[in-house]
Amino acid sequence: MAMTAGATTTFPMSSHTRERVTVAKLTLENFYSNLILQHEERETRQKKLEVAMEEEGLADEEKKLRRSQHARKETEFLRLKRTRLGLDDFESLKVIGRGAFGEVRLVQKKDTGHIYAMKILRKADMLEKEQVAHIRAERDILVEADGAWVVKMFYSFQDKRNLYLIMEFLPGGDMMTLLMKKDTLTEEETQFYISETVLAIDAIHQLGFIHRDIKPDNLLLDAKGHVKLSDFGLCTGLKKAHRTEFYRNLTHNPPSDFSFQNMNSKRKAETWKKNRRQLAYSTVGTPDYIAPEVFMQTGYNKLCDWWSLGVIMYEMLIGFPPFCSETPQETYRKVMSWKETLAFPPEVPVSEKAKDLILRFCTDSENRIGNGGVEEIKGHPFFEGVDWGHIRERPAAIPIEIRSIDDTSNFDDFPESDILQPVPNTTEPDYKSKDWVFLNYTYKRFEGLTQRGSIPTYMKAGKL
Amino acid sequence: MLVGKSKAKPNGKKPAAEEKKVYLEPEHTKSRITDFEFKELVVLPREIDLNEWLASNTTTFFHHINLQYSTISEFCTGETCQTMAVCNTQYYWYDERGKKVKCTAPQYVDFVMSSVQKLVTDEDVFPTKYGREFPSSFESLVKKICKYLFHVLGHIYWAHFKETLALELHGHLNTLYVHFILFAREFNLLDPKETAVMDDLTEVLCSSPGNSGATGDGASSGASGAQNHVKER
Repeated sequence: MAMTAGATTTFPMSSHTRERVTVAKLTLENFYSNLILQHEERETRQKKLEVAMEEEGLADEEKKLRRSQHARKETEFLRLKRTRLGLDDFESLKVIGRGAFGEVRLVQKKDTGHIYAMKILRKADMLEKEQVAHIRAERDILVEADGAWVVKMFYSFQDKRNLYLIMEFLPGGDMMTLLMKKDTLTEEETQFYISETVLAIDAIHQLGFIHRDIKPDNLLLDAKGHVKLSDFGLCTGLKKAHRTEFYRNLTHNPPSDFSFQNMNSKRKAETWKKNRRQLAYSTVGTPDYIAPEVFMQTGYNKLCDWWSLGVIMYEMLIGFPPFCSETPQETYRKVMSWKETLAFPPEVPVSEKAKDLILRFCTDSENRIGNGGVEEIKGHPFFEGVDWGHIRERPAAIPIEIRSIDDTSNFDDFPESDILQPVPNTTEPDYKSKDWVFLNYTYKRFEGLTQRGSIPTYMKAGKL
Repeated sequence: MLVGKSKAKPNGKKPAAEEKKVYLEPEHTKSRITDFEFKELVVLPREIDLNEWLASNTTTFFHHINLQYSTISEFCTGETCQTMAVCNTQYYWYDERGKKVKCTAPQYVDFVMSSVQKLVTDEDVFPTKYGREFPSSFESLVKKICKYLFHVLGHIYWAHFKETLALELHGHLNTLYVHFILFAREFNLLDPKETAVMDDLTEVLCSSPGNSGATGDGASSGASGAQNHVKER
């Protein structure tokens, strides 16, 4: 050991070699650890199958068929682990969303015909590579979680310009678009969506994550109208107005946009709605949904997500979020002065229960509802009558109307863009335009993909 | 000077050759990054498609051997390794037309990695699309790939084990070698005449996991995962 250590200290090597050594060590150690796990898991699945078949009292012929089907699935899993995907494996059907750092397209996988949402993020707008890798690893953990509350991610790959995420397509659109159509929701509708979002947020908190970007455009609706969360971590904090330094030279003086403040709620709602779509695209953004402690030196915790939910609840009932203004600076001032600026317009009818819940969501973090656990939220009078254990199995508050599995009528129309135009003058071989997709890909996620020959259940519902 | 030195090294100089095999020393052969029993890991799982199993493992070995070589590629130059040598054997590259090409070790490795990369990313040879079949020549292509990868592993041991040791990657190299050899052996992918050059190392590495509790570990290897990440030096 001493000799080796001595050799190491005197052994000259380039930084490139040092980097390759680190990669080799991590890759091989990780690989062999996972290899053993995968072996054990494969054997476990096989034994589970045998036990299940024995309990069902299947005939030998039927058992043989089930073993064969299982083996075919395992074989396919091995193939997927070798698969390298690129843009040309998908057919782009339509642009269904656009954000500050990329866009979302409806796509079809050419070899299987399956429909997905492809989220395209420009690398130039993103964080350092190491951070992206870390975020993707975190996302991979989340993808293993309960798919009921989180939009599923099936594949991810990259090329020189973009990072691509192949997601479950949710034909119901997002909450922002729904609110733009409906202006406001009833209290019963609001109760439904807030309840489901409480369960969704709690699910990710239990995994140790803070979403930190809860807002209507990140609440998606599946084919049956139920809520799923989107956008974990990847672009969190990227928008300028979501970062503390954006307000470095701004004091906490009271807001001064008197003319906007004195508008009646109807005109405020109209102004908000008019600017809403543009605001979602903006790389500057606005802190409308961000809890005040996120901007303070004191730090923040997962309770900041409940504040955001309170802001959304207010917007559902009133028609605009409580601190909206004409500039992000004014909104920031209002957020930081929430004690004075959080008010309910007298002309809009809102129940006392709803007001109380909003005020308990949008208060300082020490006193915020949820600080004592999610049961504290569930026990609030506004949620009277909510069947927390079965809300997802019941009909949604607002049914989704779609005619086919690739129906995009619940999305706005977007003009085509150049985000997918090929880089000019490229002479690289084809294989360099694809990326290994499945580092540490696990069987659990694979199961969501193996409904060959039939429409996946979440798409099948769309046909009904 | 170098040419002269090369000439002065006759093939039959066994004493000098034996002195060079640092990788055979017990303190190095017992180094591993996992103690799991590879014989069990390489066996074709029940009813899994054989070609898919071969494709999956071969692709992985290609990447890992390429990665292992990349750690010492700085030291494998046209000057230090004028031929692709493993012990007293020299390998020549044969191009598409069967012509024998004399080349340095780094050139040979580059030919190997380029041609294998081409094969494993060729959709007609290693299909990745749903429902596509493997070609009838698949097994012979896998054998060819394994032969080339074996040459690279052999060269790393023979010419660059000291650097690998200094980089503390010898446990990784040994683990990779054992896994590769046992896999190739399980499916008869390497001609014994082709691997004879490394038989002395193979015998030592593949006969035991590398610690004194081998028999005990072997008995419980099917059920145990607690030995992960054990490193010995």
